[in-house]
Amino acid sequence: MKYKIADIIVDLDVQYPRLKKQIAPYEYDEAANVNVEIRLTEALYQAYLETYPDIEREMIEYIALGNEYYTALIHFNGMLIHSSCVVYDGRAYLFSAPCGTGKSTHTQLWLKRFPDAYILNDDKPAIRICSDGIFAYGTPFSGKTDLNVNERVPIGGICMVERSETNSIERISDEEALFGILDQTVRPQEEEIMDKLLRVIDKIVRNVPVYRLKCNMELEAAEVAYNGMKGVN
Amino acid sequence: MKTKKGFMLRKVADKNIVVPIGQASVDFNGIINLNDTGAFLWEQLAKGCSYDELVSRLLGEYDVSEEVAKKDIDAFLETARNAGVIED
Repeated sequence: MKYKIADIIVDLDVQYPRLKKQIAPYEYDEAANVNVEIRLTEALYQAYLETYPDIEREMIEYIALGNEYYTALIHFNGMLIHSSCVVYDGRAYLFSAPCGTGKSTHTQLWLKRFPDAYILNDDKPAIRICSDGIFAYGTPFSGKTDLNVNERVPIGGICMVERSETNSIERISDEEALFGILDQTVRPQEEEIMDKLLRVIDKIVRNVPVYRLKCNMELEAAEVAYNGMKGVN
Repeated sequence: MKTKKGFMLRKVADKNIVVPIGQASVDFNGIINLNDTGAFLWEQLAKGCSYDELVSRLLGEYDVSEEVAKKDIDAFLETARNAGVIED
């Protein structure tokens, strides 16, 4: 079956309901060449089983096909940034942080504060450098909340999120942005792919504003974040 | 002395970084941030060289005294050895 994910045509053989349900909005039945074919071979399954021994096959399918997809994405001038991505006023805003910091909690505040806002991908948006700008895409791989939309939206800003008593936002240096992004993606093992990934990150850091957001769980956090980023990119 | 296999030095957003790939990334999951002198020393060590060669090449590249060059090299080597990214 063919799917179009972040404008890449992927041939996938999905077996289990979890991913089947998630990936349905990405089905693609026009005649077009497949860009990438991904199969969960027995060898690949066994390799994942070694890393995640206690997980059922359905979940391994979801994790493995997602990982393979995001590695392939690097060949198309793209990358994964582990973040919750909310869209408001025509721009995508990414909130990135280690697990448990409260990325999704923060974007949920946006949905409450701004009724037109929606989640593009709650955990693993795809980012692509296109000829007309740098875009975030929803993908079927969106973490435990399953929140995603099959769209592409220009990026307004990326926030590295830290919890704090009070809310504040500031631009960070290219160096901090570079290290922040490298920490929140899956780094490839092969030199050639790593080189491509570093070129993607270079373009992102040079063209997309990156911030440090210190925030609590009040609605004001969403307002401070939006006001700090709106109109910049 | 030589940098260990599996570390690549690249310039990203005008910063010099060293990232591990392959087996090296299993043993070392971080990223190394180098200033321009550090990147120069790394390049020499990637090809492999002795301490004295490192000193003479740094003196050839930068306008510093031998004393300062050695101090910089010693600090660099100590950090790199502690991180386990070079071998003798």
